[in-house]
Amino acid sequence: MSSVSAGADPGAVTAVEVTEAPTTGSPAAAPRKRLADREGALAWIFLMPSVAYIIVLVGVPFALAIGFAFSDVTAGDPSFDWVGLRNFRRAFDDPVFWQSLTNTVIFTGVSMVLIVLLGKVLANILIANFRGKWLVRFVVLLPWTTPVALSSIAWLWMLDSIFSPIDWVLREVGLLGEQGALLGSGSNMYWLGKPGLAMASVIAVHVWRITPLAAVIMMAGLVAIPRDMEEAAQVDGAGYWRRMVEITIPLVLPVAAVAALFGVVFTFTDFAVVDVLTRGGPNNSTQVLTSWAFFRGIEGGDIGQGAATALFIFPILLAAAIAILRAVRRMDVR
Amino acid sequence: MAESLSRRSLLRGTGAATLGATLTAVGACASEEGGGPAGQAGPEGGAPEETFTEPSTPLSGDLRILVWSHFVPSHDDWFAEFTKAWGDRVGVNVSVDHIDVGDVPTRIASEISAGQGHDLLQYIAPLSQFEPSVLDMTDVTDEASRRWGEQLELCRKSSFNPATEKFYAFSPGWVPDPGNYRRSLWEPVGFPNGPTTWEELLEGGAEIMSSQGVQMGLGMSQEIDSNMVLRSLMWSYGAAIQDENEQVVLNSPETIDAVEYMARLFQDTMTEEVFAWNAASNNQGLVAGSLSYAVNSISAWRTSQETNPDIADDIFFVPALGGPSGAIAAQHVLYNWIVPTHAANPDAAKEFLLHYTENFAAATYASKLYDLAAWSERTPQLGGWLTSDPFGAQPVDKLAFLAESVDWSVNIGYPGPSNTAIGEIFGTFVIPNMFARVARGEQRAADSVDDATREIESIFSKWRDQGLVGG
Repeated sequence: MSSVSAGADPGAVTAVEVTEAPTTGSPAAAPRKRLADREGALAWIFLMPSVAYIIVLVGVPFALAIGFAFSDVTAGDPSFDWVGLRNFRRAFDDPVFWQSLTNTVIFTGVSMVLIVLLGKVLANILIANFRGKWLVRFVVLLPWTTPVALSSIAWLWMLDSIFSPIDWVLREVGLLGEQGALLGSGSNMYWLGKPGLAMASVIAVHVWRITPLAAVIMMAGLVAIPRDMEEAAQVDGAGYWRRMVEITIPLVLPVAAVAALFGVVFTFTDFAVVDVLTRGGPNNSTQVLTSWAFFRGIEGGDIGQGAATALFIFPILLAAAIAILRAVRRMDVR
Repeated sequence: MAESLSRRSLLRGTGAATLGATLTAVGACASEEGGGPAGQAGPEGGAPEETFTEPSTPLSGDLRILVWSHFVPSHDDWFAEFTKAWGDRVGVNVSVDHIDVGDVPTRIASEISAGQGHDLLQYIAPLSQFEPSVLDMTDVTDEASRRWGEQLELCRKSSFNPATEKFYAFSPGWVPDPGNYRRSLWEPVGFPNGPTTWEELLEGGAEIMSSQGVQMGLGMSQEIDSNMVLRSLMWSYGAAIQDENEQVVLNSPETIDAVEYMARLFQDTMTEEVFAWNAASNNQGLVAGSLSYAVNSISAWRTSQETNPDIADDIFFVPALGGPSGAIAAQHVLYNWIVPTHAANPDAAKEFLLHYTENFAAATYASKLYDLAAWSERTPQLGGWLTSDPFGAQPVDKLAFLAESVDWSVNIGYPGPSNTAIGEIFGTFVIPNMFARVARGEQRAADSVDDATREIESIFSKWRDQGLVGG
């Protein structure tokens, strides 16, 4: 026999305790709680794997990076000697650092806008009812689920200087490789060989990779909009764009902001796409903070300066995260 | 350094004990089996017979080796059997891990940081940046020189730091970096034997581009081949990053001339693909028949022997191109073997290196003449192989020019050593970017050289403060 009792706190409406009734012994003895009945302990048990993961794989490396940034640690000499702000001064004197910072901001800003816009469009398509919807959803999610190194290598071939299939298609449809062709008379675009095209290519691959995630997040926001609001607006004569601007977008904004936050974090901290596609070239025009930190710290052997460069990502990312989350809260309050 | 000193004493002791038996030759050892001092060639055109010298001290335990995945896969098959045979004979359990060449520096850095990992690690470029955490290899290098004569200067300069007087690595071999050209393209423009100077390269390459529409492929990208070929151009023009005393001398009229020449060469003979290249791009272009000229080792041609024999037969080679100050090329690959201070079995690692060097002829053969020895005496068969290629070259003496390759090849820090500053400049692509800015028309040559000099001086100053760079 068991009894079910609501928690004492009237606010804790979801707190439900399930206790086994004593079968023997004194009726005055308090019922013995099992581990499964102790919410506090359970909370810690469920939380511990995440906490351990964050401490070991995020907290410790982060603390190490701070330590390295103030030290003279090199690839060949892990011994720690305090050097104060020397690594930061050297990083600030390095023109490639500033170029990498500028590139990172452009890369992240443009990617974020495109990810949110395309994510919203894709989400609208995904919630529509049509035959084969589940297959389309599966295919759309593939770029996000494919390992980034693998997908970047696939794009490296797609954007190859000589053998690019994109160039082949452009030549076949007459947009490239002929006198007077829209994209020029050359046989190839050299996607990764021209600074502007190289940056556009890196951004495009990132947008292709992260848009499905943004779409899924926004899809959750879209399906949460009460149907009756849409229907009431429709009855009142509001057209598609009016409903989109006055109902859908305001209601989905907090979720869109979360998608943007993910986009910012994943783009700002990405290393693989740049490393595989351009290694920061041509002439550092796609160099970002993460790749420059790697080249300076590991390939160049100066781990201290590499860590100082990498650490610069943190305050910018923190500020962006705080700004976006505050905006989300304000939207919720309204 | 206790281990290395003790090791050195042991090796010297062994050397003294065997002196009577080695009167005639460099390299002869009392217990050497299966061949003469320099090893014996096997049957005509076949692999050389391997030799074995008893280690100077009993060995046991495990030996973990990390090496790159060789560009010529047959080398890795041979190496697996070679290490196993040696391990079985001396009582050491040898294991070999191969990883992609691009991952090696990262892997070494992580093992040194963790203080554990392999006992012996190999890379294809100088590993000077790891000097504080590796054993001094002076004893092994001295012993190898005692046995087999003088080590090639370019290998010595790529493993020895004069500022600390330490051999941070052992360098038993290297790979030259010749020019690769398509004879069918160069013949119609009057250079059937390829260009011999940078001016001929410009003249012939421009003519091929305009008359046959085939571009040339000298990279100005953030990758290793661009680093190599642009240094060759600089040296041939009398320019250099540093002098013999490790002083920065980049900012010179010679460097500006070299940069301006490259801008002209780009405009007349190349496309913008050269700014996007990775290390495999010029190989792919050459094998696909899309390039009239590239600078690379013989591996791309070897690949095309199997995949596209017609193209392979049309690819020929030229030594370093001549410029106002001579004909000089960088080495393509320079083997560095290091033993970290955390290595559990340094004695076995060093003995293995001596055994490997002793049998370098087998490594040269297994790599299809890609790897050349730092102690030339170890490959007496090389001349015969180069004039009559055992691996199907058409014509058979296509590689004969490599017999003189040591005369036109230098280390990447030339005329100074391959020190840590040179390594960081190499790893952060300062030189390719210096050339690319001008070729793209973004800067004047003098301004680009100025900017690069500032970057380079800052890097030198940093490593000089750490005591790893002299001057």
